[in-house]
Amino acid sequence: MSALEYNGGSVIAMVGKDCVAIASDLRLGTQALGISSNFQRVFPMTDRLYVGLPGLGTDVTTLYERFRYRVNMYTIKEEREINPETFAHMVSSTLYQHRFGPYFIEPVVAGLSKSPTGALKPFIAAMDLIGCINFAKDFVVAGTASSKLYGVAEGLWEPDLEPEDLFETISQTLLNAVDRDAFSGWGAVVHVITKDRVISRTLKARMD
Amino acid sequence: METSFALTGKGYVIVAADTTAARSIVKMKDDQDKIKELGSHLLMAYSGEPGPSNAYIIMPTQPTDPLLSFYSGDTIQFAEYVERNIRLYQIRHLYPLRPSAAASWIRRSLAVSLRSRNAFTVNLLIGGYDLADHKPTLYWIDYLGTVVEVPFAAHGYGSYFALSLLDRYHNPDATLEEGLATLKRCINEVSKRLVVSPDRYKVKVVDKDGVREVEL
Amino acid sequence: MASADGGAYSYSLTVFSPSGKLVQIEHALAAVSQGTTSLGIKASNGIVIATEKKSSSILIDDSMIEKVAVVCPNIGIVYSGMGPDFRVLIARARKSAQAYWRVYGEYPPTKVLTQEIATVMQEATQSGGVRPFGVSLLVAGYDIHRGPCLYQVDPSGSFWAWKASAIGKNMVNAKTFLEKRYNDDISLEDAIHTALLTLKEGFEGQMTEKTIEIGVVTVPTVEELAAGKEGGETGRPRPTFRKLTEEEVKDYLAL
Repeated sequence: MSALEYNGGSVIAMVGKDCVAIASDLRLGTQALGISSNFQRVFPMTDRLYVGLPGLGTDVTTLYERFRYRVNMYTIKEEREINPETFAHMVSSTLYQHRFGPYFIEPVVAGLSKSPTGALKPFIAAMDLIGCINFAKDFVVAGTASSKLYGVAEGLWEPDLEPEDLFETISQTLLNAVDRDAFSGWGAVVHVITKDRVISRTLKARMD
Repeated sequence: METSFALTGKGYVIVAADTTAARSIVKMKDDQDKIKELGSHLLMAYSGEPGPSNAYIIMPTQPTDPLLSFYSGDTIQFAEYVERNIRLYQIRHLYPLRPSAAASWIRRSLAVSLRSRNAFTVNLLIGGYDLADHKPTLYWIDYLGTVVEVPFAAHGYGSYFALSLLDRYHNPDATLEEGLATLKRCINEVSKRLVVSPDRYKVKVVDKDGVREVEL
Repeated sequence: MASADGGAYSYSLTVFSPSGKLVQIEHALAAVSQGTTSLGIKASNGIVIATEKKSSSILIDDSMIEKVAVVCPNIGIVYSGMGPDFRVLIARARKSAQAYWRVYGEYPPTKVLTQEIATVMQEATQSGGVRPFGVSLLVAGYDIHRGPCLYQVDPSGSFWAWKASAIGKNMVNAKTFLEKRYNDDISLEDAIHTALLTLKEGFEGQMTEKTIEIGVVTVPTVEELAAGKEGGETGRPRPTFRKLTEEEVKDYLAL
């Protein structure tokens, strides 16, 4: 039994047309026993940047608190909000600092980044538990249902989805993947990040 | 086997824990109070897995071998450490920590302890009544420092029986009498189905008037 | 005990004089104003920093002296005052820039690096067993968030942003000169010439490519920015700060 799978949980992020989406289930368990159906593992870092932290429950909280602190200090020092790319590097270096005693988390970062010309560009990335970054152009997955998420996402995702279509795609991908995973599910939450707002919805899911 | 339950209701939280103190297969005591009153409106039920262990090297295995499950010294040490620090906060600041803040502090203590050489192996249920927003709150915390706010919770082997019952019978708007009746269902089920079931429980309630013990 | 200069308050760094001064810091400023003149000018499309490189003997191999230092691809620093102190500060600044790169995957904005150096200098005014740094710095850099920036840092650890400034010997004259010459839409080319003219004012001896050092910040064009922050072959960031070569300095002096 790996520590990454002890509490269960999965996260997925997808790129759309001028938007990104990040979604996760809400289950927290101790192995097969469900404890909570309202455990948040996706957190806002700025108005246009979210991070998902699937993995060991205690490290979800610890890392969220850590990143919240780091981002707050960054915002004060630099007098501006952090870019998704910069944040991804920050997450990565934080994880690698603990290379030989890691946090059991495989983070997913999703946000809109400002390009040098001022336009907003979708950004997603995923990492392993020691901070190796995977920058992807389509979608990234992590958690106990990751293998299933890959399969469904591979079939459903297409380029340049509008926010509403992206919401539908990511929701169906997540819901159908976690239904095949005993350690994920029990409700889900989806955030679609667009240029001028974030659409957050809680989804009903199978409760078995 | 060590078992603890807690559930929220309309304006209250009930916390219950068995009262046995066992060492190996021997019952040393059957009136042990394992629910600390951390403040005027805060309760903490604590139960321990065997003594100090390198919890993060040997990854989590749920309730251990019954033969090894004794009431470990460091469980009490941790509970008292928490109790004194929560009290210290109140003395320093002239007002107590809110339940959410207390749970957060306690979680942090466990999370830090987890990656030390001798981690505390203690599971907690924190029940409190928040005087600021007038809400009863319950936190499930395990020895890894996992924390989650829940409507009802349980630790130990009893949780396998109680949680499904609570899924069926828990009502967030139940009166105290109804809440206690649901608790009794859980206790009875554990007595009926668990091989090594505890026979006595201590039950405490926290609501707007503070903490108090109730007889079932 | 009490003497003509600083009196009893001149020895311990951490003791204020009754008039509210920390005299050691003032002495450090005095050391700076004995140093060679350096100056910086912010232009509409870049920044120039320049200094005079004077050696006390013709036997010194001045090709090895470096008074304008590159900290990271987007930031450079020039100083007036004590050379060894500058060397230490540059080492700290470079380390700090690399530490920033390691965490964030990009080099620090000018203001953040300046703040970092200023903190190092401030600590030397409040710690036991040390003296303040005997240098003033001009930090020039470019970052995407604030554009080109020119900062001055003093031994006290205070820092300001300038459109144009001068430090060291002749700084008062040089600043007056700059005030007369400066306007908001000066081009980088003009700024480089103004910098040389300003230095010439108080220059002793011959101004040649061997006795002048110049560093420039160039603001990347929108196309360059869109092309990405990385240079093609090396994968390293395309530098926005660079030192002018002796040939380039020679060309500017000839004009």
